[in-house]
Amino acid sequence: MATSAALVCRQLIKVFEGTRAVDGLDLTVPSGAIFGLLGPNGSGKTTTIRTSLGLYRPDGGSVEILSSRDPLAVRHRTGYLPEERGLYAKMKVREQLAFLASIRGLSLAESDRRAGVWLERVGLAAREQSLTRELSKGMQQKVQFAAAVIHDPELVVLDEPFSGLDPVNSRLLKELIFEQRARGTTVILSTHRMEEVETLCEFICLLNQGRPVLNGRMKDIKAAYGRNTIAVEYAGAAGRLDGLPGVHVCDDSGRQARLRLEPGADAQRVMRAVFDRVDVDSVRLDEPRIEDIYLEKVGAPRTHTTPAAQETGA
Amino acid sequence: MNPTQIVKIARREYLARVRNRAFIAMTVLVPVFLGLYFFTVPFLARSGTRPLRLAVIDAGTGLGRPLADRLRAIERPPITVTEVVTVSATDTATRERLGAAVRARTLDGYVVAEPKRPSSGGGSPSPAARYVARETGNPTLMRDLQLAVRAAALEGMLDGTGVDVDAVRKTQLLTLDSVTLSDRGERAGGFITAFLSTLILGMLLYLAVLINGQGMATAIVEEKSSRLIEVILGAVTATEFMAGKILGVLGSGLTQLAIWIAVSLIPLFQASSFALPEAAAGVDLSAVLSARLLFYFAVFFLLGYLLYSVLFAIVAVTCTSTEELGQSMMAAVLPMVVALMAAMNVIGNPGTTATRVLSLIPFFSPLVMLARINVLMPPLWEVWLSVAILIASSAAAGWIAAKIFRYALLMTGKRPTLPELMRVVRAA
Repeated sequence: MATSAALVCRQLIKVFEGTRAVDGLDLTVPSGAIFGLLGPNGSGKTTTIRTSLGLYRPDGGSVEILSSRDPLAVRHRTGYLPEERGLYAKMKVREQLAFLASIRGLSLAESDRRAGVWLERVGLAAREQSLTRELSKGMQQKVQFAAAVIHDPELVVLDEPFSGLDPVNSRLLKELIFEQRARGTTVILSTHRMEEVETLCEFICLLNQGRPVLNGRMKDIKAAYGRNTIAVEYAGAAGRLDGLPGVHVCDDSGRQARLRLEPGADAQRVMRAVFDRVDVDSVRLDEPRIEDIYLEKVGAPRTHTTPAAQETGA
Repeated sequence: MNPTQIVKIARREYLARVRNRAFIAMTVLVPVFLGLYFFTVPFLARSGTRPLRLAVIDAGTGLGRPLADRLRAIERPPITVTEVVTVSATDTATRERLGAAVRARTLDGYVVAEPKRPSSGGGSPSPAARYVARETGNPTLMRDLQLAVRAAALEGMLDGTGVDVDAVRKTQLLTLDSVTLSDRGERAGGFITAFLSTLILGMLLYLAVLINGQGMATAIVEEKSSRLIEVILGAVTATEFMAGKILGVLGSGLTQLAIWIAVSLIPLFQASSFALPEAAAGVDLSAVLSARLLFYFAVFFLLGYLLYSVLFAIVAVTCTSTEELGQSMMAAVLPMVVALMAAMNVIGNPGTTATRVLSLIPFFSPLVMLARINVLMPPLWEVWLSVAILIASSAAAGWIAAKIFRYALLMTGKRPTLPELMRVVRAA
């Protein structure tokens, strides 16, 4: 674990009107990794990001970003795509992208050149002279992503980058994110899309009420849970798999269910019980998906005792 | 603070301002309207020079001949008296005949002199006159006609008394000229000139602040509500952001001012070749646009503009939507409206204590001091004290704005309250 960290938060606290939005957060984002910052709405993800980037001043603890205590000192080496986002509606697309590049420290000429290159890459070269408001939401989002990485930052924070994108553009974005990692950029990804987390992130931190409830390498976290999930596809309505002995969380959406086993439960026996209850299309013993873990940690009130969370980071 | 970052923010703001339609429209329209006023009014007045064919009806007043003579004496427009008809007071046939001629355009109009009985019944009738024509809108002609009628009536009255009619007429035309006296010499012109020039200069400042300041304020609210500000604040500090905004909007204001001054200098240098008919316009153009006034106008424009820009920026940053901004802008515009009214009032009372005090108070001083300079040059120390106070208060406003920007830029859900803002400003 000798790799340097792109971002380290120590006992970070941020208070808004008496509420602790971030409550003593310890977080280490390894350099060059894609790091998923997860958590329900209001769990403190955006506040953590804003404080880390210097938009907020911490009320306690410290932030070290790219080995600097002052986020503004390294602002030309970081990029940010905020969750709620907008652009200058009446500005031309290329001009706008060049402006956003220039305030990240590029010269005007270089900003303009790179704006051209990036518009080409995200498939908007033909629209560079359009007013931004004439672009669709998805197109604007691609411009905003380009603005976050156009200056080749060492650390880029993407807050919900996939929202509102169609499958084709989602795939394009995913490729662009992988490309960022390939050139050594650390990517912090905050998202509710668990399938994207599953395919993109090597490390995750799950926040709830301003505190981390899970933190570490994804592989390790999953391993700690073991193959404790039974995935079932079946014909019939939801609800028929409720209350199976040995199952402590039943995530049943009808036609598909994921049953999390109690520690020490006999998987074979549970599977046989499944066959008794429904017409099975398929059934298999599975690793938990990140969504399962997420729901177990912060979601359903059905959650009982949990296996000890593995703190494998740092 | 990083100057490069400020310049980049300023550059974008400047370009956004000067490309704005309202900016372009006002920059072009203001000189156009002023030009229309200064050039077309005299030309319009001169355009009523088409010769007129008029008839005179003397309905029992005996004023027919002298009135016809007076009408012929009018130089502009030249008047031909087609006929002088003497009829009885109750005659209507002649009027109908001449009226038909006017309608048929064979006659431009006729003047009737008739006795008018006092409404209370008793007493002798006095002469009255009426001008019947297709066009009665030219004020200069109407004034000349009135003078002609009066002169004719006077002549009729004094006929045979041996009194010199022309001498009496001259005393009637006596006018009162005004000269403004101050420590720095005297100046002819007075109220109308000072009123109009102050109004025009005041309106220029008002318009410039309104167009550019409003544009900037809207941009700030847009940046806030679209959360673009988060991206920007990841790259520049709130203070750099604010400084850039003010600088950019200052640049656009100066551009506008430069264009306006350049345009207004053209007639100043070419006044002789244009041969401005100043009397017809009612305004002596060179008095309106003296070099001294332009200098002080530039100084007070710059400072007033700066102060109001900062004020607009503060108002904008505390708003979360354009709707809120619309309401709050009233608060920012109000001092300027009051200042404009106060400046108009100064023209009548340039030396009062109230005026002197107002011309030192930051939000009023640009317009009020300018009005004072225009009407009655105040002592220089007062002018420069006013300038110093303006500079100091702009700096103070900038300092306060920086603090409020740091606090309020990322507030999107609700507006900061006044006590909150006070606390933010007081906190070191």
